[in-house]
Amino acid sequence: MDSATKNRIELEVKIKNPMGLHTRPATNIVRILQHAKCCVQFTYKKTTINAKSILSILTLAVPKNGKLTVVIEGEDAEVVLPKLMRVLESPLEDISVL
Amino acid sequence: MYRVKDLFEQHGVRLELELVAGSSGLQRTILVPQANRPGISLAGYMKGYANKRILIFGRLEFHYLKDLDVKTRKNRLRALLSPQTPAVIVARKHRPPKELIDLCEERGIPLLRAGMSTMNLLSKLTLLLAEEFAPSIDLHGTLVEVFGIGVLIQGESSVGKSEAALGLIERGHRLISDDVVRVKKKEANFLEGRGIALTRHLMEIRGIGIINVAYLYGAVCVREAKSIDIIVKLEEWDDNKYYDRVGIEEKTETILDIPVPCHILPVKPGRDVVLLLETIALNHRLKLLGYHSAKEFQSKLLEKISNGENHLG
Repeated sequence: MDSATKNRIELEVKIKNPMGLHTRPATNIVRILQHAKCCVQFTYKKTTINAKSILSILTLAVPKNGKLTVVIEGEDAEVVLPKLMRVLESPLEDISVL
Repeated sequence: MYRVKDLFEQHGVRLELELVAGSSGLQRTILVPQANRPGISLAGYMKGYANKRILIFGRLEFHYLKDLDVKTRKNRLRALLSPQTPAVIVARKHRPPKELIDLCEERGIPLLRAGMSTMNLLSKLTLLLAEEFAPSIDLHGTLVEVFGIGVLIQGESSVGKSEAALGLIERGHRLISDDVVRVKKKEANFLEGRGIALTRHLMEIRGIGIINVAYLYGAVCVREAKSIDIIVKLEEWDDNKYYDRVGIEEKTETILDIPVPCHILPVKPGRDVVLLLETIALNHRLKLLGYHSAKEFQSKLLEKISNGENHLG
């Protein structure tokens, strides 16, 4: 198995923030991913976007309880995953991960 | 999944549609982008009957139905309206026979009435459905119109796509979409890109935030949709990589089975990306007009060499 397939993580997340994936959590996601080497994609309702771009994330307009598919691919996928999950799964804006 | 409801809501005005019966079936899925005039199937010949198509009834169909006795009429219609039939559309605002209305109501198949003639309806509907069913894909990139050429700027986040686009807009070119481009393959075998409604004409610039280009620069600087004629990939300058120096070879990238000319443009401080993008677009226009700078030079050079002329001559 080459490293590219090994470092691919795919999972489904339910958004718990009562206001959905709005500007503030999206900003936090972009901040986490800013220096990440891996490629991160979100898919919601058949639209797949690059999670490193804030406008792309906002395009999805994911509401509370919306199910988001997350694909992380790249060498630092395991490092990025827990940080990203904390933002996606926390009901409030938790900035301690940044 | 495309439903009858979507067709009715999005194109109802254009096709002059009104709902007559079978409103419970508006959620039905349209499986194939085709319409069918029953013709021979209405006469009872059901071999090879394509039951997934939208049924179109025109004047002839009604005349024929009128000539049948009630029982046969019911049986024929019953055979036509299969569980897969997405909808029935009646042309020319004909009044559908009672049997058709009852059957549509009973089976929950939407029965619609259109204002136009049968042929007109058939061709318009086929075009609309082909458009709706055209393959599409969302790409990460920025689509700008430069000198009439649709340029899709791609590259890693923070390489400067948005900044380049902003520079182009400032010089009078147009923005179609920043960040997410929804690309559709059109019937005439070209690609068309547009933005997604929520973030249309918005840009995110590091250090400034989200700006609305349509308001900042005016309506002249934006466009809703544009064909994608070339792709330019911006990337950080890599000293160890060889970049195209002559431009004779033409690279393409395939999107939805359509090859699009592709340029790789290395970025480093001091390189005016906006000017370079304008040059690429202009050069592409020139190629469309039949003049290929690099090839023209190449052939002149070869001619000179083969004639053995002095290079100063």
